[in-house]
Amino acid sequence: MKNKLLKKLLLPFAMLLGSFMYAQSVTGTVSDESGPLPGVNVLVKGTTTGSVTDFDGNFEINAKTGDILVFSFIGYKSKEVVVSGTKVKVTLAEDAAQLNEIVVIGYGTTTVKDATGSVASVKSEDFNKGVIASPEQLIQGKTAGVQISQSSGAPGAGVSIRIRGTASIRSNNNPLFVVDGIPLAGDDTSSSGADIGFGSRAASNPLNFINPNDIESISVLKDASSTAIYGSRGANGVVIITTKTGKGVQGDSFEYSATTSTATAAKKYDVLGRDAFLGAVTQFGGDAALADAGFNTDWQDVILRTAISQNHNLAYSNSYENGSVRATFGYGKQNGIIRFSSLEKMTARINAEHRFFDDKLKVGFQSTFSNEFNKSPGLSGNAGFRGDLLGSAYSANPTWPNDPDYNTGAGLAVPTTLQKYVKGETNTERFLLNGYAEYKLTPELTAKVSLGLDKSNSETDLAGSGLARNIADDIFGAGRGYFGTIDATNQLLEATLSYNKDFGNSKIDAIVGYSFQDFQRTGKNVIARGYDTDVIGEMYTSLRETVGLIEGGITGSYQQYGFSGNNFFINRLFPTPSFQTLSVPSNLGVTSLFADTFDSTDEIQSYFARVNYTIANKYLFTATVRADGSSRFGGTNQYGYFPSGAFAWKINEEDFIGESFSTLKLRLSAGITGNQDGLGYGSYIRRQRYGGAGIDNGGNVNRPGLSDVSFANPDLKWEETSSYGVGLDFGFANDRLTGSIDVYRKETKDLLLSVPSAQPSPQPFFFQNLDATVLNQGIEFAINYGIIDQEDLAWDASFNISYNKNEVQNFAGQIEAGTIYGQGLSNAFAQILASGQPLFSYYLREFQGFDSDGQPIGDVQGFVGKSALPDINAGFSTSVSYKNWDLNAYFTGQFGAYVYSNTRNGFFTAGAIAGGRNVTPDVLTSGEAGNAEAAVSTRFLESGDFVRLQNLTLSYSFNLKEDAAFKMLNLSLTGQNLFVITPYSGLDPEVSSGPATGGLKNGIPTAGIDYVAYPNPRTITFGINAKF
Amino acid sequence: MKNKTIQFKSGLLFAIMAVLSLSCTNLDLIVDDSLIAESTGEFSGVSDPASSLTNLYNSFGSNYGSNQERLYALSEVTSDEMVVPTRGTDWGDNGIWRTLHTHEWSAGHAFILQVWNDWNALAFSASQVIDARSNASAQQVAEAKLLRAFSMWYVLDNFGVVPVRGVDDGPEVSPMVLSNSEAYSYILDDIDAAIPGLPSVGPGSSTNKMSKAAAYFLKARVMLNAEVYGASADWAGVIAAVDAINPGFALAPAGKFFEMFSGVDSSERILFVANNDGSRKWSALHYSQGRPGNTGGGWNGFTTLSAFYDSFEGPANSNYLGDGQEERRGYVQTEASTNATNYGFGYGFLLGQIYGYGYDKDGNINTPKKALDARGGKKLIFTRELPGLLGNNDVTGIRPQKYSPASGAYVDNSLIVCRYADAYLMKAEAMKRSGDNATAMVNALRTIRGATPIGDVTLDNILAERGRELYGECVRRTDLVRFGKFSATWEFKDDTEEYKNVFPIPTNAILSNPNLVQNPGY
Repeated sequence: MKNKLLKKLLLPFAMLLGSFMYAQSVTGTVSDESGPLPGVNVLVKGTTTGSVTDFDGNFEINAKTGDILVFSFIGYKSKEVVVSGTKVKVTLAEDAAQLNEIVVIGYGTTTVKDATGSVASVKSEDFNKGVIASPEQLIQGKTAGVQISQSSGAPGAGVSIRIRGTASIRSNNNPLFVVDGIPLAGDDTSSSGADIGFGSRAASNPLNFINPNDIESISVLKDASSTAIYGSRGANGVVIITTKTGKGVQGDSFEYSATTSTATAAKKYDVLGRDAFLGAVTQFGGDAALADAGFNTDWQDVILRTAISQNHNLAYSNSYENGSVRATFGYGKQNGIIRFSSLEKMTARINAEHRFFDDKLKVGFQSTFSNEFNKSPGLSGNAGFRGDLLGSAYSANPTWPNDPDYNTGAGLAVPTTLQKYVKGETNTERFLLNGYAEYKLTPELTAKVSLGLDKSNSETDLAGSGLARNIADDIFGAGRGYFGTIDATNQLLEATLSYNKDFGNSKIDAIVGYSFQDFQRTGKNVIARGYDTDVIGEMYTSLRETVGLIEGGITGSYQQYGFSGNNFFINRLFPTPSFQTLSVPSNLGVTSLFADTFDSTDEIQSYFARVNYTIANKYLFTATVRADGSSRFGGTNQYGYFPSGAFAWKINEEDFIGESFSTLKLRLSAGITGNQDGLGYGSYIRRQRYGGAGIDNGGNVNRPGLSDVSFANPDLKWEETSSYGVGLDFGFANDRLTGSIDVYRKETKDLLLSVPSAQPSPQPFFFQNLDATVLNQGIEFAINYGIIDQEDLAWDASFNISYNKNEVQNFAGQIEAGTIYGQGLSNAFAQILASGQPLFSYYLREFQGFDSDGQPIGDVQGFVGKSALPDINAGFSTSVSYKNWDLNAYFTGQFGAYVYSNTRNGFFTAGAIAGGRNVTPDVLTSGEAGNAEAAVSTRFLESGDFVRLQNLTLSYSFNLKEDAAFKMLNLSLTGQNLFVITPYSGLDPEVSSGPATGGLKNGIPTAGIDYVAYPNPRTITFGINAKF
Repeated sequence: MKNKTIQFKSGLLFAIMAVLSLSCTNLDLIVDDSLIAESTGEFSGVSDPASSLTNLYNSFGSNYGSNQERLYALSEVTSDEMVVPTRGTDWGDNGIWRTLHTHEWSAGHAFILQVWNDWNALAFSASQVIDARSNASAQQVAEAKLLRAFSMWYVLDNFGVVPVRGVDDGPEVSPMVLSNSEAYSYILDDIDAAIPGLPSVGPGSSTNKMSKAAAYFLKARVMLNAEVYGASADWAGVIAAVDAINPGFALAPAGKFFEMFSGVDSSERILFVANNDGSRKWSALHYSQGRPGNTGGGWNGFTTLSAFYDSFEGPANSNYLGDGQEERRGYVQTEASTNATNYGFGYGFLLGQIYGYGYDKDGNINTPKKALDARGGKKLIFTRELPGLLGNNDVTGIRPQKYSPASGAYVDNSLIVCRYADAYLMKAEAMKRSGDNATAMVNALRTIRGATPIGDVTLDNILAERGRELYGECVRRTDLVRFGKFSATWEFKDDTEEYKNVFPIPTNAILSNPNLVQNPGY
């Protein structure tokens, strides 16, 4: 037995010995353009003999003369070298095509072919062009299952992103954004201000600080298997933004790009002109002569303009022997199509990387500084019956003069008043710094430590001048204003250890890590009334100086202070709660003031691990787990555990599949992710603070006392989303045609929501994990085809479409949501959250026309079977290049969503014209009586289907000689939002208005409600891009 | 080189270990801007009873009168005294006002929910101050007890039951529910317990705090309605409570009726709140009726019914100054009487053409005195009648105006909660109900108010007198219920269901507390 075995073993050994006699030890170095390349696989072709280069790019392998060595490394073209001596020197060239295959995932990279999860990556060359204020807009319409919609056409406005449906029922359903490894806080970085009489405004997009020109790629992680590495913050998907580095650039290289754009309103409301208006007044029983103020004003022309915007970017990059650097500077000023609205932005970035100790140690940092300056006139998403600037422009009597001081009588405001006498501006500075050190302990084992700092300071001034007539009950004469600051500091510490080994037939790629992140927010909100000046700019200064003067005079810590008349109080929490009353300092710029401060810190501590194991390059397994601990929860619920697993099978690698498929991969994934965004600080514990206060119409401020801000709920825990997905990637004809199909199911449970407390209770609402489920199920399909691929002519097309079905289940109750604003619409709402319905389900009266008296028929509010969520989102893009010309077109579409036109409901009714307010012509013939109520009903609900030509770009690249001054020169012309095909009667079916978070009914977010939304502009951009 | 590498390698490892060990945190809440009593966050007394008491008063003021909705709407718009008609698109507000007047409210009605939340929350916060662990002073405890009694009485009166929660109970505890008679005793016990610790205060500027007089007033109010709450009547108790009110409080002299609602000290003002009176003033006035401090004018909502207006003495179709009406009906300024002091604002009930001025931003009159215009090219002439709850224009209906902008656009500290005339009529009613004659008492009041005496005062006379005296003071619904008249029919209201004497328990409340049972009928 033993002998036989020995013989069996000896035979091959003898054969091996034979060859060994001629084999020798071959050594060599592998490098790329920028230096030695560690980790390159070296294989003797046709054998299993292999080696890997060390930190210095050196390797040693047994091979005999005439053997072929195969050098391969991700991102490089493989190279074969015939052994002809004992020394080999190889330079590998980067493989652009393969680089394109690289996909950044959480804590690492993979390739499209090796990805087990559902990840979509968009590279900079495929980004949307034109006027782009924030990164999300770069990939709008590019990926299946990712709905990106801009809720407003205002410069720098927020963008909503929903990945695979809406999973949560509180506000903030946006994904986690990770910029160069730093997960950002989901909060706004700037204050939304206070309601100074005509509603509040939404804060600007916190992602504006990233210069879109600095972005190399954006990865969207869609399923649990790819987002679980971010555990508790992965439930809404993860968007990873990677910025450009100087890597791969030879010598000093400069790039300059500039754009200039003109934007106009894509559509206006067709309201009555002077004569038609006066005729309509008569028609509804008024006296045209009394209604005629004698002028002829087109109010939309008064407030709108053709806006010119500019953007400049200068980049320097270089890579040298041991590292690379890239520095950029960007400046842009985007003017809004509503006069006095603009976003001015300056960004600077330095990314650098340097390698030490024979490249074993890599040290790098990415830093961004940005300054964003936002200005806006009197705009608001929740103005009352008078409307904000837009609402008043739609409804204003066209015979009024264009004069901000004109007194209309009867309490209505001239739009010019809101344009000239109400303004706000926000200045936000943000600094994002990420430094890391990565050390190769062995060729397989790498340790990395990163430190991140994300710091922002924002200041907001709002003022309504004492000259502003008829805007709110008491701005006129007194003036009201706001000053607020938010300082946010997020710190990140991360340490990872990764292990990477190729066993020939199998590969392992594993990572373990620790992460700690804290989020501090401090700041204050100050409201004031009774200014000593009516000039907006001076009002800002006046309030700031008053605040400075008072704060300078207060010793010790305080939560709030305020004064009115002769009462000046300070409320202190520490060292013991107390209040102090003082006499009001003299010569203050305002007569009433209330200031409240905040300072909260949240922490997240995490441990995570991931293993990728690949067998025979066919079977890929991924397992991930993350344990997250959060200071937002107490006791045993502090930690949440988020596991996931995935399996992929590269069927095309199997022999039985033949050559018909160039790609055929089946992916299965399952996992659990979490969410705590929107929960807020310290919600599980009983906390006391001094309550809020307002300045009433008499200028009085009541000193607040201590009250409970939260109701102890130690049982609070993570919201959890379980997801399951199956996907199939396919490719034919050497991947000239590729595509994928994904099917998923996401169940979100233990929904965190502020629910009514059982009274008596300190607060009407408290946070609880709701025993209900939000279910999202969907299917995604994407296909790309290289239709023509010739030397001078190429034509590509890609199409994606996704279907998502959303439903709330097992919820015992109904929560009203979707506040409707406008005249006679206080307490009106249009949506209800209820079991068996999708989120944002409309709850309306079924409008059945008008009776013979012109009164609406239908008075019972109920579900109407329609929701603001689209069933289908689609994107189509195509590009044609012919010689030096390139033409790109992107279409986006949405189907199945319904839009509630709160604008029509609030302004364009017979009651409005009977009250002397302008309307659209259809109102005159609708049969509605002037004394009819315009309650919320299906009359104002419309299909929000649309197909939009989002982006059309024509560009020309010059042929440049070797010795030309430019290495590259490219001119482009881009049109954005060129046309929309939609049945919706309003300005834009996609633009919906959302009040600031404080204005949400029952804290439930809304969607699909269009209340005087900032119009989406049509923009034409000319761009130049040069490298030298 | 090799050594250096090894050194670095171990150094780096050490650094990682050090960083990890230093950074591992137990994730305790970092508290920089709020107070937590203990690390567990459980109740251990309020941190500063004085501050918490301030908050109770702030909440009391805003629950009572921060706007025209909530308690004010539930007490007045449901009655024969007031209505908020829908004026074209205005004041439709999803039907919320119409259903109040027609008694067709549902358990999801927003104001009903708000009243439930407002007063229950205040009762809970008061309990926190009362708790021994809060170490409040005897007077602070007494004030908190009376505030709790007020709060629980508003809950009892509107809903018929009162939930109670211990201050230590977390959200997992479902509050127990007191029946009407249990709550009645609980409230009276609180009042009796509070009285010794409360200050004895007479008329003046400090009657915006809980006092013995306010306690006796509330005691009279609660006991007067005893039978409504399933308890037995104690008319003598009502009379005793009214008589115990500090003798400094008395009926105001003739000619001073509307002055009481202008924020000045009055012998009738037993309790007022620090809120301003803006919503009471402007909710009824037309958009064109402005004045310095509010040139944008009124909100054009609240209206009275002509039958209620007709219950006052004076000509039916005109209410101008000098028309010979009784004092409480007020008057409309004539063109002649309109001046730069009253800006054209009258008192009581506004009917007919209204006069006024235009203003610049500094509040200076910039137009001559004029008959004001309404919207859509018509004159501002308030009409006597409404065509219905729907289908109104901006000038239909008589406008109630107890708090008049003649005294200022917004006057702080002028909202009256308890007034001596109310206590006086409560005593008269208790006398009548216990078999005594109340004629002299009622007529004494009528004489002061410029109305002719009534021969033999009946209970119906007393109800009507309370209406004329106390309209707009959040007591009409309670009165109608006590007299069994809340289910009667009046203009635009046909519903005669007795069960509507209490509101439904709000849907949200029932979902949040399984101990609550919906009121019968709903």
